[in-house]
Amino acid sequence: MYSLSNPTAGRESEFTSRRFRSGFAKVGTYVLLCALAVLMLLPFLWMCSASLKLDKDVFRFPIQWIPEVPQWNNYVKIWTQIPFLTFFGNTAKLTVIITLLQLFTSSFAGYAFAKLDFKGRDLIFLAYIASIAIPWQSYMVPQFIIMRKFDLVDKHMALILLQAFSAFGVFLMRQFFISIPNDIIDAARIDGLSEYGIYFQIMLPLSKPALATLTIFTAVFVWNDFMGPLIYLNSQSLKTIQLGLRMFIMQYSANYALIMAASLVSLIPVTALFLAFQRFFVEGIATTGIKG
Amino acid sequence: MKRLYTFMSIFVLLSLMLAACAKPTPTAAPAAPVGGGAPAEPPAPAPVTLKMVAWDIGTTPYWQAVIDAYVAKNPNVTIELIDVTSAEYQDKVNVMLSGGDKSDIVTVKDIPGYSAMLTRNQIIPLNSYVEADGLDLSVYSGAAEELTFEGSIYALPFRSDIWILYYNKDIFDRAGIAYPDNDMTWAEYDDLARKLTSGSGADKVYGAHHHTWRSTVQLATVQDGKNTVIATDYSFMKPIYDMIVGMQKDGIIMDYGSLKAGNIHYSGVFKNEQIAMLPMGSWFIGTMIAAKNDGEVDFNWGVAKFPHPEGVAAGTTAGTLTSLAINANSENKDAAWDFIKFYSGVEGAKALAKTGNLPALRTAEVLDIFASLEGVPSEATEALQTVTVRLELPMHPKVGAVEQILNEEHELIMTQSVSVDEGIASMTERVSEAMAE
Amino acid sequence: MQFTYPKQKKAGTGQKTLKQNLIAYSFILPNLLGFAAFTLIPMAFSLVLAFMHWDGANVVTWAGLDNFRRLTQDETFRIALGNTFYYVIGTVPPTMIASLALAMLLNRPLRGRDFFRTTFFFPYIASLVAVAVVWNMLFHPAMGPVNQLLVTLGVESPPRWTASVDWAMPTVIMASIWKGMGYYMVIYLAALQGIPPYLYEAADIDGASAWQKFRYITLPMLTPATFFVSIMLTIASFKVFDLIMVMTGGGPGRATNVLVIHTYNTAFREFRFGYSSAIAMVLFVVVLIITIVQFRMEKRWVSYM
Repeated sequence: MYSLSNPTAGRESEFTSRRFRSGFAKVGTYVLLCALAVLMLLPFLWMCSASLKLDKDVFRFPIQWIPEVPQWNNYVKIWTQIPFLTFFGNTAKLTVIITLLQLFTSSFAGYAFAKLDFKGRDLIFLAYIASIAIPWQSYMVPQFIIMRKFDLVDKHMALILLQAFSAFGVFLMRQFFISIPNDIIDAARIDGLSEYGIYFQIMLPLSKPALATLTIFTAVFVWNDFMGPLIYLNSQSLKTIQLGLRMFIMQYSANYALIMAASLVSLIPVTALFLAFQRFFVEGIATTGIKG
Repeated sequence: MKRLYTFMSIFVLLSLMLAACAKPTPTAAPAAPVGGGAPAEPPAPAPVTLKMVAWDIGTTPYWQAVIDAYVAKNPNVTIELIDVTSAEYQDKVNVMLSGGDKSDIVTVKDIPGYSAMLTRNQIIPLNSYVEADGLDLSVYSGAAEELTFEGSIYALPFRSDIWILYYNKDIFDRAGIAYPDNDMTWAEYDDLARKLTSGSGADKVYGAHHHTWRSTVQLATVQDGKNTVIATDYSFMKPIYDMIVGMQKDGIIMDYGSLKAGNIHYSGVFKNEQIAMLPMGSWFIGTMIAAKNDGEVDFNWGVAKFPHPEGVAAGTTAGTLTSLAINANSENKDAAWDFIKFYSGVEGAKALAKTGNLPALRTAEVLDIFASLEGVPSEATEALQTVTVRLELPMHPKVGAVEQILNEEHELIMTQSVSVDEGIASMTERVSEAMAE
Repeated sequence: MQFTYPKQKKAGTGQKTLKQNLIAYSFILPNLLGFAAFTLIPMAFSLVLAFMHWDGANVVTWAGLDNFRRLTQDETFRIALGNTFYYVIGTVPPTMIASLALAMLLNRPLRGRDFFRTTFFFPYIASLVAVAVVWNMLFHPAMGPVNQLLVTLGVESPPRWTASVDWAMPTVIMASIWKGMGYYMVIYLAALQGIPPYLYEAADIDGASAWQKFRYITLPMLTPATFFVSIMLTIASFKVFDLIMVMTGGGPGRATNVLVIHTYNTAFREFRFGYSSAIAMVLFVVVLIITIVQFRMEKRWVSYM
């Protein structure tokens, strides 16, 4: 592909066969991508189909992909049977706050771990990584006890404090900062820029793809998190979408048609977010910075 | 300085935590209750707010119905419901109680949850309250005894579902077969199911249906009262397992592996008229009435008594209990007692029956309220009469561990990964190991 | 171009080092404070619990090595440990290769690239219930399209997938690769943006083949990302819980029971928090060893460049 954008490198004799081959490869690529896309979209298609069915037909075999009588009413019911709008607002609030905090603190710390030398750096970093290795299920109870001591149970603050500082974010940012050449930083230091100046004026602009990645991952995680809100939120007015979805699952039955309808609606913001942020994964953003 | 601060805060936190966990065992018996909430008219009772943990509040009307009835009589009391999703109910309650939560009333969803909370002193024994108020526990026809552990009762039952047999009248009519009667053995059930099976492919009608729960098979093995599912030798389960696995092999009931993989819920196959008979809990009556009212189904259905083993009286069935307990950390134990006494008493039972649920306290009056609800099939009055109700799981400190083992081995037998004999031998071996620990 | 750790600055007075340390700490403290209070301390507590008996309600008592002794006699633990390794080995390499391949494919200027990227990320954001349902349907033993295809191809008794003790784990592994590759693709996509195009331009002038460019430019330049993906993916695979719970619940029997499921069951079904922590501790040590090995390797990779 790079040769396409650089035609001066073309060699005349090979030109036609190369074009033929690349055309052939292109068709092959598209066929492969489309096949994969269908496989990837299957759950989405199933969700769409299920969300328009009567509940009793959702799991009926063989799958009827297009329901005979689409139950559009399901999309009305989800707003009336549970306070879906409140849940939506709460989830959005938590997602925005946690993602912003996560971006700021993780990139800040990631820069220090990648480019600064200080006492105990490797040890602290190892503690971060090690923490990822412990399953959350095994420290859930001690964590809850601490939150209760701080009187944070049944408050959004509990979830914010829990999820805004993650080892994942720090590690991710460190890896991206490491791949930025030291020459740039050294040059900046010689120019008399402070470490804060380097971080804000050089590193942050360079790390857009990494920040986009972290935004996507954090937002999707917070948006879809179930266990955190389950453990920490009691009041109806504070609950999130994922808790709301489970309200369609009753003790002896579950309305999967409504669950799927509500899930689809809740997917819209995260999908939009992904679409918006993936444009940062375009060649050359980081490198134009380096050259300049 | 900042590092110092970090270390200091770490120390403070650690000591806080140790303090939290090393709290002394709550005293086994509550301080002698004073009059148990005094139902009489004391001069202007002080306002009390009670917190109650329950599940599915949005879709389960009875919580609020009974609360309204109580508050109408006790205007000084406010009841705050904490809603937890039903599937995760026990997990959340466990974390809450381990963390020292002060909610007053804890709903007990099942026996493993009950066992876990009482053996760890998270809920209090109610005997002194019961004695002080002279409460007669025999009105619960045996349920109170099932909840008694080492001489103490820790919860009062308010809702009790029993297992009955649902059937699709239209399928029976089409096949020209008489509806199941109220005195049917499991062998007769097997025969009947075979006669009712017809068709193939997507239009196949299965004679019967056993949902993937372990209880849909194992309940029948303990109906005679000679054993419970916590046993030292599980060979008593062989006849029923042989029967069900045989039905599965012959295509009389749907294949367990297919049900699991297809996520198939019993209500879907019954509503879609794919099965003729369905042994299921009495909670399903309400589901079917609602489905009929919504126009989701339009066939006729009926209910009969649960089938029983040879030599066991008809009307012997199994059941589940839902009950109420008082959190050991509650600061309003007396007020909480007054509330749960009302909830599981006659007035609570009436309010519950009006919402289409079966109360644990079943007087003739209460059952009439239930039977006269619109949509309840006429056979229900007879079918719901019981001789003996056995609990699905008995109270035992290790019931959680045993249930896990039984579920796993049940799955292996039903997917035919192991033979019935191998599976039963494995149950015997693993349960006795778990008991020995 | 050099990609190395910051060089140890040997020169400089003590005062300067102190100032450097303070500056560095000011960078990590905002994160470290919150992280220590709400994550590290509970974790440390849970590790200490491995040497205690605790039922989650009453007094914590000292257990010494009792919990670890119990591990040696626990059949379910042995099964879960084996299953966990099976899952990790089955999941990590294919997911890494697939996610890198997807990223390479979608880093080019293709028509509909945004659509494909979103599509491949989709399994990660889709409801887990929907994912489990669809996989179970595809692999339904009687009516699933996979088995119908196998029967058409002449396979007489196709596998019963999640309903079979032998095939349940491979089915779960396939689902997990399918779900995870779009996620790690995003990391690779972001990392690919950091490779300066002039490297490829120079290689083109030298007449390098596509494979040579991939082998000698792309792959080495992706080392930090690969390192990140390999560690995160390995750890995530060791900790797998949700996907298995919704797909098989650990069954049939104990065929897909893994360490975290066992940890969870002992804590929340049997209320042995101490023993549960001991299981988590084993997981922790295994993952830690693997992570340290990977760290060592990272330093070696880096020195090659």
